[in-house]
Amino acid sequence: MPALEMTDVRKTYRSGDTEVMALDRASLTLGDDEILALVGPSGSGKTTLLSIAGGLLTPSDGSVVVGGEEISSLDAKALTRFRRDKVGFVFQSVNLVPFLTARENLLVVAEMGRRDAKESRQRADTLLDELDLGDRGGNLPNQLSGGERQRVAIGRALMNEPALVLIDEPTSALDTKLGEQVMELITNEVKSRSTAAIIVTHDTRMTHYADRSVEISDGVLAA
Amino acid sequence: MMRLALREMRRAKLRFGFLSGAVGLLVFLILFQQTLLGTLLGYFTGALENQSGEVVVYNEEARQNLSGSLVSFDQIEAIAEVEGVAEVGPLGQGTFTVVAGGEEQEAAVWGYQLDGPGEPTTLVEGRLPEADREAVASSIDAAAGFDIGDEVAVAGTDVTITVVGLASDIRFSVQPVLFVTYETWETTAEAVNPDAPLFLPSAALVHTVDGVDAVDLATLITREVDGVEALDRAAAVDSLPGVEAVSQSFALILLLAFIVVTLVVGFFFLIITVQKLPALGLLKALGQSTSSLVLSVSLQVLTVCVGGVVIGALLLVGAGQASGDSFPISADPGLIVTTGSIVVGLALLASIGSLRRVARLDATTVVGRQNLGGLE
Repeated sequence: MPALEMTDVRKTYRSGDTEVMALDRASLTLGDDEILALVGPSGSGKTTLLSIAGGLLTPSDGSVVVGGEEISSLDAKALTRFRRDKVGFVFQSVNLVPFLTARENLLVVAEMGRRDAKESRQRADTLLDELDLGDRGGNLPNQLSGGERQRVAIGRALMNEPALVLIDEPTSALDTKLGEQVMELITNEVKSRSTAAIIVTHDTRMTHYADRSVEISDGVLAA
Repeated sequence: MMRLALREMRRAKLRFGFLSGAVGLLVFLILFQQTLLGTLLGYFTGALENQSGEVVVYNEEARQNLSGSLVSFDQIEAIAEVEGVAEVGPLGQGTFTVVAGGEEQEAAVWGYQLDGPGEPTTLVEGRLPEADREAVASSIDAAAGFDIGDEVAVAGTDVTITVVGLASDIRFSVQPVLFVTYETWETTAEAVNPDAPLFLPSAALVHTVDGVDAVDLATLITREVDGVEALDRAAAVDSLPGVEAVSQSFALILLLAFIVVTLVVGFFFLIITVQKLPALGLLKALGQSTSSLVLSVSLQVLTVCVGGVVIGALLLVGAGQASGDSFPISADPGLIVTTGSIVVGLALLASIGSLRRVARLDATTVVGRQNLGGLE
């Protein structure tokens, strides 16, 4: 079963009297352990596509199926539940809750889903160890470096064993070397769990970490 | 969600601690003012409030003022005939210069009919008068020459009254009070004013028949007996001179204090909510329900305010222990619970602005509107 199936997805918004097309009949299928790099310039519709795939936005038209669940017609409450149970996010800007430690930032996802507390703690500790953050679990985000914060966010995205991981510009705030390390870490972690992922980036140097790349321009996905 | 709310508070102890402290000081201020008002009003009205007559009957021209009222014995007999009256008796009331504890001072003398309406109801030590020239005095004035066994001399006369009992909260017009027999009052008044042709009671006090409402009976007495105006005890207390003015002044101060509490809590939570909107947006994007985020902020408001009420109550207890006998401050649990509940209720009301912001928070804020091409 594909992790994601988007069929003829459109997203429009109003700007004054005009209607702007953010995403135009986008169709995309992602295998259940596939990593896709979505590449495009600023304003091309990358984040809109990512937000629709993750249930943050509803499409104006078209069908979106994630892990076998049609989400395009879900109401806000059901979308919240869907995001909690099926998707892992790594956002570009705001990524960690500042008043929670690294470990708590992972645990908060499990607590939302009322998962078994003991298992969740073990999973959080395993993920932190894998991400080489075993001794940083008790640190608040402002006590971590940029790279460490990004790694915590990756751990959090994997915490709820999602069907789909969505990662928005993971290397935009990092230098090339650190960016490559983070990309390698993401692909290793995602691949080791046979999870599907979409990585949005405008940096074409990072695309070789993905199984394939798709370009997007003016809301249109390249064939 | 409780865990998330408490974790945040634990990480920002100083910030939330300061707010709890500020709310605590304001709660203390409110409690202290209310206690002060109660004590002050008690000093004005205690004797009337803590006597046994349920209905007080004035002369209709006295404007509910004891010192301007005279009720005839014919009127008292007429009152006794009104349906619902179990017992009626005269009350003689006047302020006299007395010598107590070796010093001249003003004291209010209340003369009532023994075993009839008008006896003090808050006896704390000793006994009620059983004969003429015996008195129950206000316990707060015991050290000023009004203790049990003390003899109080009415200045310029040969009348001497012996204190045989002490009752709490029976001051009147901020003066020491002596509850004596009606005859003792009459004797005292005659001794002070030997040329006066006649002494009439200041008012009549009434015991109601069991089950009869004092308010209804007062209305009936006023209607059926010529030349009198009757009030139930609570209304009589409220209409005493100065009570309304003092109550209104304090009510205004209390209102201001409640408004300040509401504004302080409301603004504080609005500011910290706005500051943490990105984090709340992130949680919402990750799958946290709106209701649990709202609950989390509400829980913080509740915790801060309950903490504030506890601090305020402890400060009041401390003030009570530090206060002297001449002006005692007592921490009334009922008052603390009522005031605390009002403060918590107002704080929750004040945080509606913050809660609405949280409720309307859009999960897409986490990816940034700019990244969505200005999408609305």
